[in-house]
Amino acid sequence: MSAPSALLSVTGLSVRFRMRGNRYIQAVSDVSFDLAAGECLALVGESGCGKSVLASALLGLLPGNAQLRGGALLGGGEQLHDGAQPEPGAFEARDAVDLIGADERTMAGTVRGRRIGLIPQSPAAHLSPVRTVRAQLEETVRELTGTPRREVRAAALAAAGRAAFPAGHLDHYPHQLSGGLAQRAATALALVADAPLLIADEPTTGLDRELVEHTVTELRRHVDDGRALLMITHDLAAAERIADRVAVMYAGRVVELAPGRDFFGGPGPRHPYAHGLRAALPERDFVPIPGMPPELGALPAGCAFAPRCTRTEEACAQTPELVDGTACHFPLTAGAPAVVGAPSTAAAPEGDDR
Amino acid sequence: MTGSTPAPAAAPGGPSRAATTPPALELRRITAGYQRGKPVVEDMTLTVGPGEAVALFGPSGCGKSTLARVAALLHEPWAGSVLLDGEPARGWRHRAPRAQRTKVGVVFQQPRLAADPRLTLSRLIAEPLRANGRGEEAARRGGELAEAVGLDAELLARRPHEVSDGQLQRACLARALALRPRLLVCDEMTAMLDASTTAALVAVVEAYRAENGAALLAVGHDRTLLERWCDRTVEQGGHW
Amino acid sequence: MAVEEPTPMKTEDGWTSARAHGAARAAGTGRAARTLRVRVSAVLLAAVVLAVLLVPPLFPVDQQAVELTAKLRPPSWEHPFGTDSLGRDLLLRCVYGLRVSLLVGLVAALVATVLGTAVGAAAGALGGRADRLMMRLVDVFSAVPHLLLGIFIVAMFRPGVWPVVLSVGLTHWLSTARIVRAEVLSLRSRPYIDAAISGGASRTRVALRHLVPGVLPQAVLAAVLMVPHAIWHESALSFLGLGLPAHRASLGGLTEAARGSLLAGDWWPTLFPGLFIIIPTLAIAGLAGAWRERINPRRRSELML
Repeated sequence: MSAPSALLSVTGLSVRFRMRGNRYIQAVSDVSFDLAAGECLALVGESGCGKSVLASALLGLLPGNAQLRGGALLGGGEQLHDGAQPEPGAFEARDAVDLIGADERTMAGTVRGRRIGLIPQSPAAHLSPVRTVRAQLEETVRELTGTPRREVRAAALAAAGRAAFPAGHLDHYPHQLSGGLAQRAATALALVADAPLLIADEPTTGLDRELVEHTVTELRRHVDDGRALLMITHDLAAAERIADRVAVMYAGRVVELAPGRDFFGGPGPRHPYAHGLRAALPERDFVPIPGMPPELGALPAGCAFAPRCTRTEEACAQTPELVDGTACHFPLTAGAPAVVGAPSTAAAPEGDDR
Repeated sequence: MTGSTPAPAAAPGGPSRAATTPPALELRRITAGYQRGKPVVEDMTLTVGPGEAVALFGPSGCGKSTLARVAALLHEPWAGSVLLDGEPARGWRHRAPRAQRTKVGVVFQQPRLAADPRLTLSRLIAEPLRANGRGEEAARRGGELAEAVGLDAELLARRPHEVSDGQLQRACLARALALRPRLLVCDEMTAMLDASTTAALVAVVEAYRAENGAALLAVGHDRTLLERWCDRTVEQGGHW
Repeated sequence: MAVEEPTPMKTEDGWTSARAHGAARAAGTGRAARTLRVRVSAVLLAAVVLAVLLVPPLFPVDQQAVELTAKLRPPSWEHPFGTDSLGRDLLLRCVYGLRVSLLVGLVAALVATVLGTAVGAAAGALGGRADRLMMRLVDVFSAVPHLLLGIFIVAMFRPGVWPVVLSVGLTHWLSTARIVRAEVLSLRSRPYIDAAISGGASRTRVALRHLVPGVLPQAVLAAVLMVPHAIWHESALSFLGLGLPAHRASLGGLTEAARGSLLAGDWWPTLFPGLFIIIPTLAIAGLAGAWRERINPRRRSELML
């Protein structure tokens, strides 16, 4: 499934934190996925499943006690706007870079902001309260693109336009903006250097429905412009609105990776956890998955979901690998009755699961 | 400024039952705010019948959280009156009689801010019992509550920064139920949580209400969730 | 500009430490410098405390023994810090002076912190008119220069240690009161206080169980940072001749007494007392600063998953 044009290619990425007493917290285990330009991948899961750690790893923002394994290759990608591309030599070098192996200087100097834009969870907290949006945009433009002084103003205006931030509000301070405008301002900052990859960390948490719709529409627009978007969220409804593909994370692993159409539409998710998560939505069965996720510091051997699963068998003592979009020994087959909590009736495990 | 829309499925609130039992909560023409001259809530009236579940729905910034705080006697309104079980509120915050303010259990949106960072989860859950001089019940009732919300002994020994948002919110819900309130106010209780934890917490609230006949005021912006959860939704619109 | 591909340091079984490639700025940079600062501060402070505690009992020499034949001797083996204008051993005088300074510093900081915390917590917890009244009082006190107020208080009593302690304590509680009040105000608006009130907690319980423990780290930090302040203040009073009686060694007094000899080119009677003021205060401030970073909640939550 590895598309040749993948902009971001994560292979076997694991992150663990070394704690006192030689303990480890296994936050991310063996995660692999590809993300192409013009595609949105929603990484969903409950709080503490490791999805934010994954994002921090891709941005090189992990604390000192973190250890990593595996790779994450950020491809060159094509320039998005070939026409308006005479940006003065600052960053035409878009060689592939290994985000896991790169040192801080590389990440700070050529990757963060320039090739990966971060759209933060709470834009109001992300913006400096003591400076106007214009001042912050211009500073970012100067810092990231090396635009000549007299063109900075125009470049900042262009960046604001790209995020649909109204020019009339540029001289406002962040606290004077509504939630929607603050979100756009933060997005404008993320888009200044025309980064081909955007990472949005819980962009809709705590927003009301209207603002969620709005944010999701904005983000989708950037995807349709040819950017790749990795959206980290626990909000399935928001994911449904925007994602081309959905990756469900459970206890640090991606347990399901499916096209959004299949995940939310007819066939439904095939991993029992993903299935249960979708079924817990109020518009569906509104029934919780029994139990709670395991501690990342004390993961059970084998399938981490087995203790909560109704389909557990001996084989579940082995960690299932992500095959065909599902990391389960006994995935639900397409069209299985959407009954949660009860053992599925039609669950013929297909031949080679592992 | 306020529109009251009975949900199609549910019978309209109080009147039928109110003949004998007073409504669990009556907010009469409440005007409240924080800055002088800038009311966040204006002339709002809302009734929650005995044992009824009412959802207060609206966009962020419309004052619904303020109204929830007024209902829980945590914020003094500028005008209007609050009646709990037919009894008018006689004060707010510490000035409210203890018996009256413990009639309402509150759950907030952000568990991280709603939990004292120094208390273990078991202390957190039992805190209302201790505060009311019922510390001897702490072990038994605390255990019951922890079981009801699905927290095991190992988690109970931890402090807030050692558990996930979902686990902490479970503890906060248990704390709100500790004194068996007659009215539960859930202010965006599930906004930070995933679908499964949301469904689990709602199930806990509903089990408690079924057992104790308590009323519910659920505040939020997720219409699908609130319509599924409550008997009746009240929409609060408008921006001030 | 080509992107360099550094070969990251692999640890056992293929794991790479995030620190190997810079890690996050918050945890990575400045770490070594910080550790060094803490170690140096700790060693200096330990040396000072040991000297102050051990020298008097181990060397029962009279620090006030006047030896006019040996006045103003430069540092030598016999007198490592030299002697003063009355031929007294300066090392001993400095140690005794520091003893007094530390005592005054600690007690005065304690007085200031207790007073400041009480006023600040009361103002923050009560709010309203009481808050406004107390904070205006603080403003009035702040408007008078510390030293002037300190001199005024000392002048009301006979010279001695306790008037100095009182003078420093009464002039230094203002900043603590402000810090504690701000902290209490910020804690008071947290939902967990709302939850406690809703759970039936009384005013006292909220204050003692939730507010004060929350403020304590800040108050203790303020107290520790106050110690150097108090030492300087005491030295300043003594330098002005208002502190301790002249025969009792105090660092400020020593510096003052040596002013004349400095003009004559004798550097040691001012240098050593001066260093004795500067080094312990820097060491205390260094340790307190490191501790402040430790209790900073942002650093603590760095590991949140």
